[in-house]
Amino acid sequence: MVELRDVHMQFEQKQVLEGVSLEVQPQERLVIMGQSGSGKSTILRLILGILRADSGSIFFKQFEINRLSRRKLQQVRQHIGMVYQYSALLSSLTVRENVALPLEELTDKSPSEIDKIVDEKLELVGMLDTRDLLPDELSGGMRKRVALARGLVLDPELILLDEPSAGLDPVIATVVDELIISLTEKTKATSITVTHEMESAFRIATRMAMLYEGKIIEEGEPKEFKQSKNPVVAQFLSGSTEGPILEGSLDAITKK
Amino acid sequence: MPNAEARRTKPGPLEFVEIERSFLREVGSVFWFIVNTFQETMERVQQGRAPFRAASFFRESVRAGVDSVPLVGLVCFFLGLTMALLTGYQLQRFGTERLIPGLVAITFTRELGPLITGIMVAARIGAAFTAELGTMQVNEEVEAVEAMGIGPLRFLAAPRMLALFLLTPCLSTVSNLAAVFASSLVCKVYFSIAFPYFLDLVKDSLLIRDIITGILKSFMFGLLIASIACYRGLTVKGGAAGVGTNTTSSVVTAITTVIGFDTVYNVIYTNFYPT
Repeated sequence: MVELRDVHMQFEQKQVLEGVSLEVQPQERLVIMGQSGSGKSTILRLILGILRADSGSIFFKQFEINRLSRRKLQQVRQHIGMVYQYSALLSSLTVRENVALPLEELTDKSPSEIDKIVDEKLELVGMLDTRDLLPDELSGGMRKRVALARGLVLDPELILLDEPSAGLDPVIATVVDELIISLTEKTKATSITVTHEMESAFRIATRMAMLYEGKIIEEGEPKEFKQSKNPVVAQFLSGSTEGPILEGSLDAITKK
Repeated sequence: MPNAEARRTKPGPLEFVEIERSFLREVGSVFWFIVNTFQETMERVQQGRAPFRAASFFRESVRAGVDSVPLVGLVCFFLGLTMALLTGYQLQRFGTERLIPGLVAITFTRELGPLITGIMVAARIGAAFTAELGTMQVNEEVEAVEAMGIGPLRFLAAPRMLALFLLTPCLSTVSNLAAVFASSLVCKVYFSIAFPYFLDLVKDSLLIRDIITGILKSFMFGLLIASIACYRGLTVKGGAAGVGTNTTSSVVTAITTVIGFDTVYNVIYTNFYPT
């Protein structure tokens, strides 16, 4: 479904991705873990074609994303749903208008059909009663659920989720995670989630990958991940301050 | 030491080259922004679909046009009043106060009306466009629109650009009428020129060409202001501070561009039509 081949990406002086290779199978729920600023969200933006890789190839189905024309890329994006860390709902539109936006702009459906689909998706995420509210009137968890409904409204084959449970209380985080599982299972969609929240990652994932220093250093099923011998993965999962992740920088932090 | 200090602070030729380059880069970026927006919008039209939401266009039109009428009208009313009064007293010394109506009408129709309107639209609407789109950019709303497969230029910039393109000439006309009306009051009260005679004098002196010149200019002002404002908004970087910086820069650039374009337009126009 998705394949990244030796992808390199640099932002000004900082080399973020240094040869990332990754393959995602259909109907898989891949979770990419890594430290903040390690380039997890960059991978999602590269798959969407919002960023262009310095080198390497990114494939979505048979399409090589960084070689597509603008028009073709817009068509391909209609098969991918994206849920942003801070929801990114259009603040001037109501919940209903936000969810209906892709349908109104990209399909020929009639207003009554659109209304039906919007209500259906909002019901799936339990937000039907908020359809006339503005995003500002919703809590963080509610916004995430609306963003999820918007991401799913075109029945995408691939869903990209950027930190879906970050900043939510544990109960709502679980609700959002379970919603992701049930919705992807119901629509038979593939999903790629990036997160550094361990509980959320293990709940969602059918396969996991760890991004460290610009490379995927470990890939596998959640069970294998928990038993990983890789010191970086082990330290990341345990949250310990001792290990290779903070090597060198720990002294600087503790001295401060 | 003072020499060394002077050497450090005085911009060298390389710095001038860099300033020149960055200026040309900006001009090129705005030009391509207009081209890309037009292209994206036309692609959509070719698909047989509405390029953007009518509601969005009308909302921007009301905001940019209708809501600006009181400000533009009032400012030009006062300017027309002042101009008629001050020039009237000078002309009265030579017994030529009957030139006031024509003077105010021609000056506003050809030059001051579009220019003052352009400057006020840049300050009032250009700033609003940049701040709004900039905030959307910072909140990843623009990226979300792009990620859905919706062209952000045609969806966000095109309705704003079209609204300002079409409504700046209307505002310019309002400003001309306000100024001429104000000068008619001055002529009546201070120089005993009755309204019917005032209108005859305006009609005698004003040419259709003057009106067309002003209107054409206003179309271009509207397009330039909207393009600069949308471009600056969609290229905001650096959070809230970035929105502030780009909004200021948008207003300054738009006003400078309006005045600069007006000068170039006048130079070219007077070369081809000297009278």
